[in-house]
Amino acid sequence: MPADGPSGTLVPIGRSPQTVVLRRTARRAARSGALWGYVFGAFVASTAWSYSSLYRTQHQRDALAAAFGSNRATIALFGPAPMLQTNAGFTVLKTFLTLSIIGAVWGLMTSTRLLRGEEDAGRWELLLTGATTRGRATAQAVCGLAVGVAVLWAVTAAVIVVAGRSARIAISPGAGLFFAVALVSDALLFMAIGALCSQLGATRRRAAGYAGAVLGASYAIRMVADSGAGLHGLIWLSPLGWVESLQPLTGPRPWPLVPIVVCTVVVGLVTVRLAASRDVGASTIPDRDRAAPRLRLLGGHVGLSLRLVRPTVVAWAVAVAVTGLLVGFVAHAAAGSISGSSVRDVLSRLGAPGAGTATFLAVDFLILAILLGFVAAGLVSAARSEELEGRLDPLLTRPVSRASWLGARLVVAAAALVVCGLVGGLATLLGAVSGGAPVDAGSVVGAGLNTVPPAVCVLGLGTMAYGIAPRAASLVVYGLVTWSVLIDLVGGIGALDHWVADTSVLHQMAAAPAASPNWPAIGVLVLIGVAGSVAGCVCLTRRDLLGG
Amino acid sequence: MTAPPVIRTRALTKRYRGTDALVDLDLEVGAGEVMGFLGPNGAGKSTTIRLLLGLIRPTSGSAELFGLDSQRDVVAVHRRLTSVGADAALWPGLTGEETLHLLGQVHGQVDAAYRAELVERFDLDPSKKVRAYSKGNRQKVALIAALMCRPELLVLDEPTSGLDPLKEHEFRRCVAEARGRGQTVFLSSHVLGEVEAVCDRVGILREGRLIEVGTLADMRHLAASTVEVTFDGPVPELGAVDGVLDVTVHGRQATLQVRGPMGPLLRVLAASGVSELRSREPSLEELFLTLYGEGEDQVPVAG
Repeated sequence: MPADGPSGTLVPIGRSPQTVVLRRTARRAARSGALWGYVFGAFVASTAWSYSSLYRTQHQRDALAAAFGSNRATIALFGPAPMLQTNAGFTVLKTFLTLSIIGAVWGLMTSTRLLRGEEDAGRWELLLTGATTRGRATAQAVCGLAVGVAVLWAVTAAVIVVAGRSARIAISPGAGLFFAVALVSDALLFMAIGALCSQLGATRRRAAGYAGAVLGASYAIRMVADSGAGLHGLIWLSPLGWVESLQPLTGPRPWPLVPIVVCTVVVGLVTVRLAASRDVGASTIPDRDRAAPRLRLLGGHVGLSLRLVRPTVVAWAVAVAVTGLLVGFVAHAAAGSISGSSVRDVLSRLGAPGAGTATFLAVDFLILAILLGFVAAGLVSAARSEELEGRLDPLLTRPVSRASWLGARLVVAAAALVVCGLVGGLATLLGAVSGGAPVDAGSVVGAGLNTVPPAVCVLGLGTMAYGIAPRAASLVVYGLVTWSVLIDLVGGIGALDHWVADTSVLHQMAAAPAASPNWPAIGVLVLIGVAGSVAGCVCLTRRDLLGG
Repeated sequence: MTAPPVIRTRALTKRYRGTDALVDLDLEVGAGEVMGFLGPNGAGKSTTIRLLLGLIRPTSGSAELFGLDSQRDVVAVHRRLTSVGADAALWPGLTGEETLHLLGQVHGQVDAAYRAELVERFDLDPSKKVRAYSKGNRQKVALIAALMCRPELLVLDEPTSGLDPLKEHEFRRCVAEARGRGQTVFLSSHVLGEVEAVCDRVGILREGRLIEVGTLADMRHLAASTVEVTFDGPVPELGAVDGVLDVTVHGRQATLQVRGPMGPLLRVLAASGVSELRSREPSLEELFLTLYGEGEDQVPVAG
């Protein structure tokens, strides 16, 4: 028989097959880095812009410095805040720690998604069949991730430097570039830590969980170190502490970049080493392949929903409880130094009216509300993944209707949010009582539950987005929460039109326990949540199912 | 009054942004029948199955299962069927046993003894987590979950993808048992041997259209049978005989293709002193290649 095979000539294509993984990872990390760079830059610029209109007189600026500059408890929460009589000090107080933590979360989510997530999906194995090795491919991916951070830095720096030319903001190019370095340092560190955890954990969720635990521990260590209990040396045990020590804008010190860079490089090298020495699909921390059957919850799809979200919800509840305990514990000390009408004025501009322990706790509950918003977004995203990854088919080809499946998930999600809110309230109460704060038990627990309605609203709107356009749902729901956080932090200082401010699901939340719950607002938020959920269920039943 | 067919579609059509995934499908599958559904990738097999299961909506036309609308009465329909897809997506954190328990509970009825027997026959280790299973083992879990409920209808979309030949054979036995119990099976497959071995009737799709449906015996007339003849003397002129194609002669031996009735050929052969005669019907594979390959132009388009 004549040979019937292809008769063409093989020609090399592509620029360089040796760097495919690098370019692929860099492209994806850079795309998201650029987006977050704009957000970082815009947040810094708008904060700096608002300072001179908010704190016009020297008296107001002194009051701000008195409230935050030397108060150990607020320093423990928000980080050191020197030079609050200046625009630079105010900008650092409002943006540095918040954006550093957002950057750290972005870093660890991006690296676990692009390393362990790709491995989970089976695409990594496909790439490894090319002319590369496990170690080399991982090294390329790690370098690609670094490109993402570089883009995050470049865009952040560009926005800050351009905006800094305005006389009202007045950040010099040098100071702006260094501030951008400081802002993205945690993103870099936690990207490396996420890459390392992707080698340790067998699934993306587990890897992100390990990295998230490191971030939580770093925050807690930094908090203790900054609490003024004579433990400041502990700051060097926390990556967040190193970054804090850079003191951008207010007293720049470049040398803490040494531990940051050394740690990143060492973690990167260990990552590559571990990747080279393990099997594809396996993990350095061994995964249990077998388990005794636990059938208690598996009597139907409702129980399955509960079982699937339980690990995530338990992890969030623990995080919320620990934060509540810590913040509650320092609340009394913090409240002791908040006095005087001008201080109250400052806190009120930051979203917490009144004075004393309740005011201090109100800021904490705003943070809890933000966390719950992200929990709700995660629950919507998990429902969407069930469909897109084809796991909905085995349920919906059995006698389970789409509406009852989604309805059950929503009920479980709403219950999870209530549990988290309640745990937050109770833990804060416990902490406050242990710290000797004179608090009203009912109003503190109520303040915990007061954080639930915005999250229910996010759940409903996210579910509607999922019902209409499942592929876009994660972007929409995480975008909504991020948008709300930024709008609320900027809106809290009064620089926004109320139509814009109202687009934040957090904006209408009363600053409990400092203020009474805003019942009409709670009603509207819950109503939007319920209406969105119903709309989501209806849309889901009227469209084609994806996946499978 | 006779019972409605288990599956009945009328002008069932699905269009995706101007692309015809399925066009005017009219199909009936009776109770107790094993129906095979064939076609190359992208022919519309999975689209048909997802329409039957109510996972996607038809652009026009309708599908009824057990006389019930597959879109409107989806839960009632699903009480009476189970299905297996080509790529079993299951929950990675659950073990095989947990998955089987869950899917049984959700369906509402399980033959526990048969389930235990299937686990044994398919050689599945149910204590492993789904995450740790190979593709073939995941497919086994999905198959067992579908078979153990002994539903009235099994809807199977390339159910043996990833299974080794031994388990494929086991699967064929299971389908035969299902037929023996009076269950109806709708089987879409690429494995022609599997369809040939288990199906009573076969439907063939091309580019979203059903081009042929019938029993294998009915369909064999579409492709030529192969006849090998050894003559006592010289080979007579056979090329002009009605229905005879492609005559190849080696000495006293002739190999030829016959399409349609054999009568004219047999009359010529009877007059010519034949020492040996072998005839072979076209296999499903030949039928398939005829329908999709060189014979494309000669095939009548049904439906």
